[in-house]
Amino acid sequence: MSDTKTLTFAFMEPPFESERTVTFFRLLDAALDRGAGVRVFAYEGAVALAFARQQPHGNAVHHRDSEEEDHPLTKDWIAALQEKARSKGIGFEWINCGLCVDERGVNDVIEGCGRGGPPDLWRYASEAHNTLTIGTR
Amino acid sequence: MSHYLFIQSQDPFTETRTHHQFDLIGQLYDAGHKVAVLLVQNGVTPARRGAKSDLFDDLLRWGVTVRADQFALAQREIDHADLKDQVGVADMDLVIDAMLAGHKVIWH
Repeated sequence: MSDTKTLTFAFMEPPFESERTVTFFRLLDAALDRGAGVRVFAYEGAVALAFARQQPHGNAVHHRDSEEEDHPLTKDWIAALQEKARSKGIGFEWINCGLCVDERGVNDVIEGCGRGGPPDLWRYASEAHNTLTIGTR
Repeated sequence: MSHYLFIQSQDPFTETRTHHQFDLIGQLYDAGHKVAVLLVQNGVTPARRGAKSDLFDDLLRWGVTVRADQFALAQREIDHADLKDQVGVADMDLVIDAMLAGHKVIWH
């Protein structure tokens, strides 16, 4: 049994809306830097963070094409964290609330992100060394 | 005695609820708990020297440990020298270390 401590994060912010999303991802990155395992329970709008069909876009007003605009996509940030965790040999799990997914029609998620429900949040929190809930307000 | 870390993302100039949030922080400190605050996002704005927020300044005066996220400061072009004397600078590591230490970490 590994002695790696696991931290659970509950997050409900949709992508591309708020500075909270950036702070949240910085927290996950910092947790991996500290060697902590990470478990995320995404609910409400946050289930779209892992939506596989997110697309970068250009910015016609600024005369930049998609590559120049380099629009950040949260699905790519999640994939990067998954890879970082793999390279460090520590756990990184992500569960989306299934009801929230269905409401928004964002069933097509990137590999490594699962579907679950509130019991998974309970399990994550019960098994974690510590849990942080980031509310929308 | 418990250890608390509050992640303060809301600022007193646009969010009236910060009144109650700062009250809670102060009450826990008064009750003898070990309380620290990390200012993130717009939460860093009352830390700027010259910013007027009585409730925030009370926390500093009482001795509550307050740090400001250097990323949020940089985004807002607030230099370390622009901060009130009692405010230090930190990063997300502060949150993770508190969680790993078993402290109660609360998002505001």
